[in-house]
Amino acid sequence: MKINVVKRVLEANDAVAASNRTLMSDAGVLCVNITSAPGSGKTTLLVRAIPALAEAQLASAVIVGDLQTTRDAERIGATGAPVTQINTEGGCHLSATQVTHALHGLDLAETAIVFIENVGNMVCPAGFDLGEHKRVAVLSTPEGDDKVAKYPTLFQPADAILLNKIDLAGPLDFDRRTFYDDLKAINSRSPMMELSARTGEGVDAWVDWLVAAHTQHAQTAGA
Amino acid sequence: MHEMMIATELLSQLDDLAAEHGLSRITHVSVAAGELRGIVPEALDMAFAEASHGTAAEGATLELEIVPTRARCRQCGQVFQPTVDSFLCPGCNLADVEFLAGHDIVLSRIDGDS
Repeated sequence: MKINVVKRVLEANDAVAASNRTLMSDAGVLCVNITSAPGSGKTTLLVRAIPALAEAQLASAVIVGDLQTTRDAERIGATGAPVTQINTEGGCHLSATQVTHALHGLDLAETAIVFIENVGNMVCPAGFDLGEHKRVAVLSTPEGDDKVAKYPTLFQPADAILLNKIDLAGPLDFDRRTFYDDLKAINSRSPMMELSARTGEGVDAWVDWLVAAHTQHAQTAGA
Repeated sequence: MHEMMIATELLSQLDDLAAEHGLSRITHVSVAAGELRGIVPEALDMAFAEASHGTAAEGATLELEIVPTRARCRQCGQVFQPTVDSFLCPGCNLADVEFLAGHDIVLSRIDGDS
């Protein structure tokens, strides 16, 4: 027997993601999903941003995904922000259901921004909606100036792109022209910010973008 | 290896469809996946075979069609086919698109025995 069906294979994940998004929108919470390769500085960027956001009266909470260990959660927890570590034990990306479970452990009424620090991977997380409102892609200069062209699906859907570790751009011969030319062909819609989470250079712009995104989201959500 | 989650979700839908249509087993499955999904056919085959044990689709053949990307420029409205390394609109030379095709994974057909 042949049966023709038209069924989206990830509809279950997408439905859970939509419900995560509604849950957070109803609470006036902005959710930001941060994607990058391992080691590009996602955790340090959060450790830098969280205290600055707190000064702007925006409380953060973090859901962090890694294959193993609670090391990122410990680093982020030191900022005072609530953090939930998800160990995927081999899984190369987070799923919407894992985020739902983590959200149940957060007090959304006391939260302005939920960050999801996705599993470090330039391929797999790109295809899975978690219920975020904004997606941020991070590249760090040691990874090489050709990565936007090599991994376009990470950068194409990003609402903001961060180029981290710019203090190392010179010694590592990171060619900004290649990077910017490639990015222009992949995503000319979203803002690009150069920064160094280590030295703090450019971090203000990243924080300003988050504050503006939260303000815009609160207006849209009617919160 | 995002293929494993795709295979798991697919097999869960196949179990539901087998029950819905009174099929004792599913012998063939056709899936159309957008090229932007970056599915490696061999990896999906392997994940599907591995995860299908004990399901209605155990032993089924899996046919994967890769669907080319089609996009509409958000700036000027032109519809075009982006290439793997460029989403630049041929009309206005900006890369700001919404996808019309090439972004979804769709189960399109099953064969089975009742």
